[in-house]
Amino acid sequence: MDTERRRRFEQYRASVAGPVENALLDELGAGELDRAEFLRRATMFGLSASMIGAALEAFGHAPLAFAATERGTAGGRLRVGCIPPPAHGLDPHTYADTGSLVTGNIAGEMLNRTTDKGTLVPELATGWKSNEAATVWTYQLRKGVKFQTGQEMTADDVVATYKRLTDPNGGSQALSAYKGVLSPDGVQKVDKDTVAFHLDAPTGGFPFLTSSTTYQAIILPANYQAGTFEKTPQGTGAFKLTSYTPGVGATYQPFDGWWGGKPALDGVDLKYFSDDAAVVSALLGNQIDLINEVHVSTGRALFNNPNVEIFSAHGATHRLVPMLTDSPPFNDFRIRQAVALSLDRVGIRKRLFNDLADLGNDTPFAPVFPSSVKLPQRHKDIAKAKQLMAAAGESKGFSVQLTTYKAFELPLLAQIIQRSVKEIGIKMSLQILTSTAYYAGSQLGPPKGWGTTPWLNTPINITDWGGRAIPNVYLSASLNSKGVWNASHYKSKRFDSLAKSYVAAVSLKDQRKYAKQLELLLQHDTPAIYPYFYYQLGAGAKRVRGYHADPQGLVYLSHTSLA
Amino acid sequence: MARFLANRLALSIVTLFILSVIVFAATQLLPGDVGRNVLGPFADQKSVDLYNHQVGADRPVLVQYGDWIWKFVHGDMGTSRQYQVSVWSLLGPSLVNSLKLAAEAFVLVVPLSILGGVTAALRRGRLTDRAITITGLSLTAVPEFVSAIFLIVAFGVFLTWLPVNAQWPDGTGVLGQMKYLLLPSLALVMVLFGYIARMARHGTIEALSADYTRTAYMKGVGTATVIRRHVLRNALLPTIAVVATQTGYLIGGLLVIEKLFNYNGIGQRIYIAAQNKDVTMLQSGVLLVGLVYLVATFIADLLYSLLNPRIRFGSAE
Repeated sequence: MDTERRRRFEQYRASVAGPVENALLDELGAGELDRAEFLRRATMFGLSASMIGAALEAFGHAPLAFAATERGTAGGRLRVGCIPPPAHGLDPHTYADTGSLVTGNIAGEMLNRTTDKGTLVPELATGWKSNEAATVWTYQLRKGVKFQTGQEMTADDVVATYKRLTDPNGGSQALSAYKGVLSPDGVQKVDKDTVAFHLDAPTGGFPFLTSSTTYQAIILPANYQAGTFEKTPQGTGAFKLTSYTPGVGATYQPFDGWWGGKPALDGVDLKYFSDDAAVVSALLGNQIDLINEVHVSTGRALFNNPNVEIFSAHGATHRLVPMLTDSPPFNDFRIRQAVALSLDRVGIRKRLFNDLADLGNDTPFAPVFPSSVKLPQRHKDIAKAKQLMAAAGESKGFSVQLTTYKAFELPLLAQIIQRSVKEIGIKMSLQILTSTAYYAGSQLGPPKGWGTTPWLNTPINITDWGGRAIPNVYLSASLNSKGVWNASHYKSKRFDSLAKSYVAAVSLKDQRKYAKQLELLLQHDTPAIYPYFYYQLGAGAKRVRGYHADPQGLVYLSHTSLA
Repeated sequence: MARFLANRLALSIVTLFILSVIVFAATQLLPGDVGRNVLGPFADQKSVDLYNHQVGADRPVLVQYGDWIWKFVHGDMGTSRQYQVSVWSLLGPSLVNSLKLAAEAFVLVVPLSILGGVTAALRRGRLTDRAITITGLSLTAVPEFVSAIFLIVAFGVFLTWLPVNAQWPDGTGVLGQMKYLLLPSLALVMVLFGYIARMARHGTIEALSADYTRTAYMKGVGTATVIRRHVLRNALLPTIAVVATQTGYLIGGLLVIEKLFNYNGIGQRIYIAAQNKDVTMLQSGVLLVGLVYLVATFIADLLYSLLNPRIRFGSAE
């Protein structure tokens, strides 16, 4: 490292970097972080690319390399197949389904973006910093950004957007990310280009919550009216939504005032599909160029096809198999462990995803999270499972019904679990509902209870959970004693306390300390089985260039082109 | 004839009313509510309740039905609870699309089936008859999603002769639209050919063995004339009835075809509305299909009476 670069790096550490940034650099220097983990956390704490590069060099790692974006010829309209269609209107703060978030996010942008590598890159914010306790995060906004209406973006627009996202009475679907973390009053304007987020509780991973991970967090003008997103272009993205027909499709034209310059495409035509076979054949028949999301189980014709490119991003999307801990037959942890040990996870991963997934270890700490601690992997062990059943007084087995719904590979997984537990004497019947019936009923949440909805009240079920950049929501909503989506009704004061400490921890070392304890506790108690975390997959024609899969399934086209 | 028309009109109105009550009642039995279906499983109960209140889904059932039927008879199909836009703005284009697909399928299958059935009857017992009958039966036995996938893979993916999705880009002319609709139409031809051809064959065989046909031959009338003037008009009577009953299926029952060919037809609209308990869309869609079906059977009855003088002069049952 040359002298001048080292001098600037040391000056940064002495006078610019705060305690959080310096702690991160110390962790890198002490060898507690590898290169990938450092990159992820450095972007989370808002370190600039030059400082990241300098730090890597200073501590003897390979320098940052910037690969040129693979770019095709300028021009052409990209035809995108989106499955499924949006379920309702397109107000960003209400997005809860794939169709809506894909449609809206082609035209809108957030303060920052999570890449397919799990790092954060600036978007409408150019930098962010936290105080030492991670309770106040200050964001510097990008200057000169225009909305598609022509107005310039300022802190007022960001404040208004986040007040809408955190309003408990406004129908915001982002509350799952922000409840307990940020309240409307906590979003404050510092000056025209600076916003401060005063959090309700310390949250070390807050920058991920302002990124594309929270796909509702599209920045809109302060005077945005609900119900107008599909009628008037008003995002800041490279493409304007110029027409939208529910259930049919949408079209986008390039936005001349985009802060990133001129996009390579002449426009985007989005077509909605409700059938996997139809969207796969559309790509193979050259009627579309890109599919937002494909699955191994329904898109086998695409894999190993020489004319198709598969895009993948590691993420934390998974299937949760909770078991009711407060009533028989699963109120004994030994029985829950026995069920977990009856599964051949390697075989399941091969069968359902052709190995395009990470093995789950019955905790929500997916391998993609830097704070995850790698415990010995649980594998199939029928002998031990039978011992546990006997110790719990159920050597003869019992009958139980597993409930899930007809989507993706869920019915297949249900059949696999049914066959697996048969080996330890459990007679499992299957109840495969429609998604409407599975999620029907009321969801009240503690202390009132969990309502009547099947997915929160059946002895054992399978539910799909979308990916997140940090595991905080999984810990608070699905496993906390007061979690509104605690389908296993798991109650552990120790868990609640450790989860709170984990969320508040800023340094990776502390996060790992709590993560390890949480993982060990969950493996012992096994309130739920996490069989795998599958990769987010997209597919496109070979002529599509510069496209990357998004861990949350967004379709980001600002740097995409056609060869 | 006027009395006939008036009777049919009155019956149609009663039929549609009963249909609307049945569908509305059946919808109430569906699980879930529109708020939960639209906002998703992770929305909090308060948001769901608010949504249901905003769209009027929490009102008493009779009030909801009364409100809807009152507006419907005044030409207002209401607002989609799911999409919050006028129902007609979505159903209208879907209905037009379904009519286009039905028309193309009709134009292909009806002449082909009648020709096949009449030919089979004229060559009864011979190889041609066997070939047409067996082919028709085999195609009918194959589910439409199987034949549709075969057509998509063969003609769309491997040969790339035809588009695999039926929804044409904006600005496509009539001939272009027909090209996009050719594959789904062929799938429907494969499903319907056997049934219609069998009816035509049966009707033709009966007419060929009738006294009036024998008389015509004995008078020295040529075969072509006998077929055209005496046999066909009697042979096609049952075929007309069969074709009319298939109209309802062709308009509103093509969900599988519409999904596989990604075609914005009324079948898919109704299905999505049922899934999400979008009652206004569902009711209006079903009534529209019912209306089209009634019009089709009415036209079939008119044609029947034109071909059968006994109906016209009121002497038949």
